Amino acid sequence: MTHLGPDERIWHYDGASATRHHPRIDWTADGFTLRWDTGSSGPHGWSALVPVDGTGGRAVYGLRGQSGWRLGFTGAPPESFVAHLPLPARYGRWIDRIGLWRAIGLFGAIASVVVVLALKAPGWIAPHIPRSWEDRLGDAMIGDFGGRLCETPQSAAAIEKLRRELGDDVPIRRIGIANVNMVNAVALPGGHILLFRKLIDEADSPDEVAGVLAHEIGHVRNRDTLTALVRQLGLSVILGGFNGQVGGTINGLLSMSYSREAEKAADDYSIAALRAANVSPLPTAAFFAKLTKLSGGETVERSTSWMASTPVSAERAKAFRDSARKGQAYAPSLTRAEWQAIVNACRDDKDVAPPPSFGF
Amino acid sequence: MSDDQGRAFGFEGTWRDYAPIAFTNLLLTIVTLGVYRFWATTRTRRYLWSRTRFIDEPLEWTGTGLELLIGFLLVLVIFLGPLLFFQFGIQALVLQGHGDIAFAIGAPLFLLIFYLGGVARFRMVRYRLSRTFWHGIRGGSDDKGWAYGWSYCWRYIVAMIPLYLLVPWAMTSLWNDRWSAMSFGPYRFSAKAMPGQIYKRFLLFYLVPFIMFIVMAVFGGAMFATMSAAPQADPSQPPAGFWLFFAALFIGIYGVLPVIALIFYAKFFRVAIGSLSLDTLDFHFTARSKAWLKLILGDVALVIFTLGIGAIFLSYRHWKFFVTHLDASGEISLSQLTQSTTAAPGQGEGLADAFDIGAI
Repeated sequence: MTHLGPDERIWHYDGASATRHHPRIDWTADGFTLRWDTGSSGPHGWSALVPVDGTGGRAVYGLRGQSGWRLGFTGAPPESFVAHLPLPARYGRWIDRIGLWRAIGLFGAIASVVVVLALKAPGWIAPHIPRSWEDRLGDAMIGDFGGRLCETPQSAAAIEKLRRELGDDVPIRRIGIANVNMVNAVALPGGHILLFRKLIDEADSPDEVAGVLAHEIGHVRNRDTLTALVRQLGLSVILGGFNGQVGGTINGLLSMSYSREAEKAADDYSIAALRAANVSPLPTAAFFAKLTKLSGGETVERSTSWMASTPVSAERAKAFRDSARKGQAYAPSLTRAEWQAIVNACRDDKDVAPPPSFGF
Repeated sequence: MSDDQGRAFGFEGTWRDYAPIAFTNLLLTIVTLGVYRFWATTRTRRYLWSRTRFIDEPLEWTGTGLELLIGFLLVLVIFLGPLLFFQFGIQALVLQGHGDIAFAIGAPLFLLIFYLGGVARFRMVRYRLSRTFWHGIRGGSDDKGWAYGWSYCWRYIVAMIPLYLLVPWAMTSLWNDRWSAMSFGPYRFSAKAMPGQIYKRFLLFYLVPFIMFIVMAVFGGAMFATMSAAPQADPSQPPAGFWLFFAALFIGIYGVLPVIALIFYAKFFRVAIGSLSLDTLDFHFTARSKAWLKLILGDVALVIFTLGIGAIFLSYRHWKFFVTHLDASGEISLSQLTQSTTAAPGQGEGLADAFDIGAI
């Protein structure tokens, strides 16, 4: 048996009172005992010792299962004693075991995989969610849109004509004109598309609305709203580790960059649909250019978290412009009377609810 | 008790010592997508506590990253899941035009969040005291804070009714309630802050916006009058006073208001800590408004000039500020300072974490 102290540089708290003891330590290969003039502690096995932060040249140890028990050394304890002591934890047990830089490399690799999965997985999962679930979810979310949908028999017929021409094979369940004073159009879960009143007011011809509508039909066809919904839920869980602000920022960035990809696909659909319907893409291109001016640049307006946005940009207008064929005899998408029915739908529908005073 | 430096509390850390902790914390937090932040918090506190001397011994932080993570996950599962569901549901209700039902569900939900915010404030203090050791003795509380959450709710609601004029009363009485439920070792804290002590500063904080508004209205009215009385040569150019008006408005809102809020808070904090005692020990806090202002301006400069990286030193700065201005007078008997018998909470400050509640 070896011993050390009693010594001013060895101190002990028993965890029962705040009195400081200067014990003598007796130890063997198996464990140690502390003895001071009024009491003792031990014998304890070496494995019961837990290193507490070594601060300012002190080495401090706790005892497993005994709250407040401390054995401390001012300066380093003697070599023969140190041999039995556990190393203090630094970054955390797992990280200490493999080393800081290797841990950073490992975590970084895992994090990249998680981020890629978070970006891609919604696109894989969404198509496997049954349409009936999506329909029920969409209906629960939108209902009759608070009675704010404008419809006359004539406008319904005109809209139906657009639907047949632009997306006959897409499971669209409703295209509505919403009495909301916003220049926007949205695709919602469950095959719902809403054209907001101001959008129609701003459009000069049915072909402009046709281009925007075909874009939203593209979203419905690709089930983008559902993908966005799944991604948002998934990201909020994965990024939960960050505190609110950081997580929110990253969340926003990721869902936006992904949504651009989806927007491009919807544009491609729109261009193809207009071509198949023999409708000129030029009015839509002009409309986009006009909206860019209205919205003051390339701002993405996300109205509600799960509503697909329709960002407008010069680049997108160009894609539509370039798709026009020279010398092609395009036909207007609607007759004059049909277009007027859509333009006047909100005015002529007598029992539509007034537009909400708040923007959402 | 000898006290070389004259103050009961002292801070002996340096930012150079802390820098390796701060930078590795940042790095590990990034590569783990935020999960490491619980361990990062723990490492930071271990360092800060161990460099904080009270009379003859440093404090010791014994909390672990794992228990913070568990606390966080518990809150995520129990509260945030349902909250997320409600949020989507309420959005859907508003969209469907059932604003009244949305309000009927939303209002109690808002109250519940407010209640949990109060509980979180209580439990944060309780958790921190239970993990803070000095001479092998810790603090804590046998109260779990559920009742405190209710007084937090009703007191703030009552305080709002007479146009927020009772807010100082709510603040001081809640501070008293919270700290009177806490203990260290065998002793209970006692807090006796009175609203009268902070009322003058509160009125300053309360009235300055009104005064500013009146001055602005008079100034703006005078400007408008001169503008219409003597039309300028070039009516498309606003007079110089116009820009001066907006500059003054900007400074008023972003410069003056935060400063008077700080002046009020400085007083509140001085009064609140000054009212705190533990057995025969009386606490004092010496930071006046100027010191607080210097702290905040320093924070802003640090974050801006390091392009945000400096933010990792904020918790260090705040703790140092807190400790260097904290003092205590009176006697403490080490042999009578026995171990706390309060039940130590099993997990960390998940609620406070979820609601983003800071320490100071």
